[in-house]
Amino acid sequence: MPLKKIKYFAEQSWLLIISALCFGLLIAAVNASLAPRIEQNKINKLDDLMRTLLPAAEEFEVAAELQIDSAKGKKTKSTIYKAVSKTGECVGWSFNCSGAGFADKIELVVAVDKNFEKMAGFDCLSSNETPGFGDKIKEAKWRKQFDGAPAGNLTLAKTGNIEKIDSEIIAISGATVSSDAVVNILNNAMSQIKKQMAEIQN
Amino acid sequence: MSNTQYEIRDTITGGLWKENPVFRLLLGMCPTLAVTAAVKPALTMGLCVVFVLVCSNIVVSLMRNLLKPHLRILMFTLTIATFVTIADLLLKAFQPEMSAKLGPYIPLIIVNCIIICRAESCASKNGLVISIVDGLAMGAGFTVALCILAAIREVLSTGTIMEINVMPQSFIPWAAMSMPVGAFITLGLVLGLINKISTKK
Repeated sequence: MPLKKIKYFAEQSWLLIISALCFGLLIAAVNASLAPRIEQNKINKLDDLMRTLLPAAEEFEVAAELQIDSAKGKKTKSTIYKAVSKTGECVGWSFNCSGAGFADKIELVVAVDKNFEKMAGFDCLSSNETPGFGDKIKEAKWRKQFDGAPAGNLTLAKTGNIEKIDSEIIAISGATVSSDAVVNILNNAMSQIKKQMAEIQN
Repeated sequence: MSNTQYEIRDTITGGLWKENPVFRLLLGMCPTLAVTAAVKPALTMGLCVVFVLVCSNIVVSLMRNLLKPHLRILMFTLTIATFVTIADLLLKAFQPEMSAKLGPYIPLIIVNCIIICRAESCASKNGLVISIVDGLAMGAGFTVALCILAAIREVLSTGTIMEINVMPQSFIPWAAMSMPVGAFITLGLVLGLINKISTKK
């Protein structure tokens, strides 16, 4: 009796099928109308962060899309932005990079000067470190010691003068793992991007 | 007519106090514990739940006579999932900062028992008006409860409310209050207090 069975199934499930279709259409419509705005929000957030890191820049151009090897053989994508000043000069570079933190992935946006020699600072795009300890990596007070530090070859120290700008980064007390993670992400990304950008430019 | 008015009044007091989803029914503990570290995310979460609750109650109430008993949970979940996805998209578009902060907890409203509980015990048995009032009252009860917990935790962990300083300079923040342990302790103490008040009556 296949016909009888089909009729039974149709009777039982018509509401489900029709409402699934309607709800699907509803979500599609909402998504279609909001998608450009959501995309714009993401771009704006990155743009805002880069502007605070490189205040001299007027515009950011996408210079390259690079693959970076993170420590465990995984590859992550990084977009390199060239910061151009009002007069059209290159005032620096900015890129995003990520790596494993204490609790979750840490995503950073980093700014360096035009020769990839000195850092102009970094900021957190997303992180999920322990509140009160690891999440101090987001605080300006700690991030300040990276502003002007040499790009790459950073080392971590437990104690020292946090105000002194050099390659020695002072860890957050109680959050050595998070501090170490940030330093490693920066060193790793910086050395590879420096090399790859040198190849592209020559 | 007066009968309906009584019902509406009962639904409102039920949602806000007698059957408060957080303090009396202990439903939806996941967001209650997870997003109450500060008032702003708690408020956003509460308003999202109000939106989803009212919308799903309306839809379920309208289709209550067409529901097949053994397929009803499926229909509820489908309805709730739709509105949660919409709420998530709206938040991403208009409140990107809050969306990033709340992360996975917005999609997790789908499995929030408050909403499915109201669909099952109220909206699938009552008319449109009662269902909407129930959605608003229960949602408001949830939001208020979340905000109370969040306010206590935010003051103790950072000395601020809605990012405005309220504590004296000498106040030392308790970092533990913004961690999960703070959520459990605050919830436990507030529940104890509420039980004390309601048994006195």
